[in-house]
Amino acid sequence: MDEDAVAELIEEALPEAQATVTTPRDPDDDKHYAVRVVSPAFEGESLVDQHQLVHDALGEHLTRDIHAIELTTLTPEEAE
Amino acid sequence: MAFEPEELSPEEVTDQVDTVIEDNEVVLFMKGNELMPQCGYSKKALGLLKQYREDIETVDVLKATDAYREALERHSGRETIPQTFVDGEFIGGSDILEQLDERGELAEKVGQESPF
Repeated sequence: MDEDAVAELIEEALPEAQATVTTPRDPDDDKHYAVRVVSPAFEGESLVDQHQLVHDALGEHLTRDIHAIELTTLTPEEAE
Repeated sequence: MAFEPEELSPEEVTDQVDTVIEDNEVVLFMKGNELMPQCGYSKKALGLLKQYREDIETVDVLKATDAYREALERHSGRETIPQTFVDGEFIGGSDILEQLDERGELAEKVGQESPF
């Protein structure tokens, strides 16, 4: 699963989400991603719930195709 | 030492997860153990928690990873490792611990007196 596919899953699932996916270790590493997501869907949600929205978007890819994501969630206001 | 037999059935894992979350203030489900974490994220979570608490109950999920994922999903809604629970409440994996720490909220989250 490549970076674009990860970003696409998140952006499809979350309203007006902008997902930036990078490889924090080796550029060819397709198991560990750093994911930064900005979406108004996070407003008023706890960190746990914000992360849960992204985890839900990735579904079972998260334990099967991807070893781990380093996740940062931000509302549009926090991202400014 | 914690109850750590070599092989665990899915039922035993479910029971152990329920019990350990109920009986301990701070629990970390991780890959490996405190002396030898087997994953960078588990190691990071442990290090963040250790800043504020010494009495962390750790559970190595590698003995029965899939069964632990399933059992943990019932508590937190997610299957990823590591997972941290404080007073029975899921507070996050390594990223959330790090964000809480950056915001200066982690100490209170794990350090406050149990209400019980």
